[in-house]
Amino acid sequence: MKFTEFIRTPLFLRILFVISIAVIFFISGITYKHLTRLSESSDEVNRAYEMTLQLEKLMSQIKDAETGNRGYIITKDSTFLEPYLYAKLRINTSYMVLQHLTDNREQPNDHLVLLKTLIDSRLAQMEKSILLAQQNKTTELQQNLLKGKTTMDDIRQCIANLTDLETKLLPIRQEDYKNNFSITPIFIYIVILIGLILTVLSFVKISQDYTELKKTNNQLLIANESGNIAEIVGNFGRWEWDIEQNQYRFSDNMFRLFGREPGTFEANLDNYLKYVHPEDVAYVNRTMTKMMQTNDLPSFNYRIKREDGEVRYFKSVGKLVTNKSGEQVLVGTTSDITDEYNTTKEIEERNRELERSNKELTAFNYVASHDLQEPLRKIQTFISRLNDKEINYLSETGREYLERITVASDRMRNLIDDLLQFSRSNKAEKEYESADLNFLLENSKQELSSIIEDKKAVIISDRLPTLNVIPFQIQQLFTNILGNSLKYEKEGIPPQIFIAAKKVKASDEEQLPKNAGDSYYKISITDNGIGFEQEYAEKIFILFNRLHNKNEYDGTGIGLAICKKIVDNHKGYIFAKGEPNIGAVFTFYLPTDLKNN
Amino acid sequence: MIKEYIYIILADDDEDDRLFFTDAFSEMKINTKVDTFKDGVELMNYLNDSESILPNVLFLDLNMPKKNGIECLHEIKQNDRFKDIAIAIYSTSSSEEDIEETFVCGANIYIKKPSDFNTLKKVLSDVVTINWQYHTSGLNKDNFLLRL
Repeated sequence: MKFTEFIRTPLFLRILFVISIAVIFFISGITYKHLTRLSESSDEVNRAYEMTLQLEKLMSQIKDAETGNRGYIITKDSTFLEPYLYAKLRINTSYMVLQHLTDNREQPNDHLVLLKTLIDSRLAQMEKSILLAQQNKTTELQQNLLKGKTTMDDIRQCIANLTDLETKLLPIRQEDYKNNFSITPIFIYIVILIGLILTVLSFVKISQDYTELKKTNNQLLIANESGNIAEIVGNFGRWEWDIEQNQYRFSDNMFRLFGREPGTFEANLDNYLKYVHPEDVAYVNRTMTKMMQTNDLPSFNYRIKREDGEVRYFKSVGKLVTNKSGEQVLVGTTSDITDEYNTTKEIEERNRELERSNKELTAFNYVASHDLQEPLRKIQTFISRLNDKEINYLSETGREYLERITVASDRMRNLIDDLLQFSRSNKAEKEYESADLNFLLENSKQELSSIIEDKKAVIISDRLPTLNVIPFQIQQLFTNILGNSLKYEKEGIPPQIFIAAKKVKASDEEQLPKNAGDSYYKISITDNGIGFEQEYAEKIFILFNRLHNKNEYDGTGIGLAICKKIVDNHKGYIFAKGEPNIGAVFTFYLPTDLKNN
Repeated sequence: MIKEYIYIILADDDEDDRLFFTDAFSEMKINTKVDTFKDGVELMNYLNDSESILPNVLFLDLNMPKKNGIECLHEIKQNDRFKDIAIAIYSTSSSEEDIEETFVCGANIYIKKPSDFNTLKKVLSDVVTINWQYHTSGLNKDNFLLRL
């Protein structure tokens, strides 16, 4: 695996290339040397032929000199001396050529030196013969001629030896030449072959690289295009700042963000700043200067003025990236966040409005709790004074009126108290804390103890869980539901109330909506009271909604609305089921894992 | 002259409430002397006069013009001369914040004004006849608010 990876690296290619060049150089060197040797051995062969030729020539020239010499001795005609003298000159030249041919050889030199001595002595004998012939010393001449014959025989022998030697050497040199001649093409062939292999390898590699490059290029193109689309959809643009070259590059959408067509102005900081809102230019300039110093651009927001004069809100962020060649580039994105900005502003405005109305509500609460209660309290106190002290001075009608005033003011008192309780259950700022629901139920039973006693009611409950709740609200919830059941009892039958608790999965409960949480505690409170028509099951939780005339049952129509509010505060659900003359079931679901924010 | 009565002072800006208050005491069988002031400034002027007789129990309305009940409470608690006066807060409000604040400031009991005259009589007689020493030593937030 690792080796195949190595093969793909540029380093491997370079190494391969250098090795190939070295091999070609080496083989070329050898080939050159070989060719030199080939030409040398061919020279040798030529020289051997030349030697033989020159030796024969030399022999014939000596013979020529001898013939001339003899002719003169016999005839004493000086015309014979002419060829003799000419032959003497040519003998010297031939010898010089021979000597030159054997310059770089060692072996034949001994023979040549011997040959030279013999030729010189023969020539000297010929000279002596001419001199003796001129003095007519016949005896001495005869002796000299005889000596000349012996020397001539030696010369012939010596030349024969030399020729013999050359003849013997020639086949060896020819063999050598032949060998050289047959090896040389092999070297040339190998060089060509290696060259060819290298070319093929290079071609394969290049075409492979090219295919890969094309593939990568295609992928890059697709990535680029999807990047462009993402930019358009996401309303953002990309830019790069080459730190060393101080060059900028903007993506196409960058130009569009300014309301311009891609590439219609040069990508640089000055052109960018031209679009920045005049009031923000100083800030952006400062940030950019800081970016150039620190090579970092933390997210920052500013306004720009587009080509058409529209003001947009931009957000830019950048990060330093070092590419594979070691160049540092600061890459960044700029997004048009105008829509987000406007939405946030709208939400903020709405929040402020809500806060305002919440404050008004709080103020209203205070008015209701304090200022409304005070006159009512006085009215009620005066009524009690009238009832105590002045009742006897009133007529029958007056007493009845007073009675009605008492009832009306009591009702108003209830209404104010319930309303206060309702608005108090509105507050979501209460913290959830772990509370034992058994304890809370006990507390509310305590609150209702006098009514329970009066009506001889029986309340039976399962063991309730300990949950994260707003304790006083859950107690209120029990009090209101139990109070409801006690109030709407069946004439003459003591109320019986059953409280059941069960941990359930939301998916198993049909009543719960699909988006409900996972698990809940389901608490059902069943009574044997007068019940109600099922069609009113939802209506009874609405504020001020009452099923009965206030002459039959007193009530403000707030109690169950408070229950709904409390269960809502706990992210739970409440439902009612009724059957006339049988009873009612109030079921509420509380999440098992309520957490404070 | 030997003091045989319980001296009671009420500071309340509401005329009706002052009337109910004095009526209630006049109908009781307890020997009391009741004085009323119509705001905090009047009350403090009286208390700060060294000639004045100090009350056994002081009823303080919270919401008063010029100087409210909380301010009066602060001034009284800062002066050592008033340390024997039992202070009862007497207010329409039953808000948690008011109860909390007056408790922390050192009031002895908190009464929410009732809307029935007979209840009022009972509350006031209870307050006046409390063994203050005992009540004060065992004072906690639960028995601070006098439940009716």
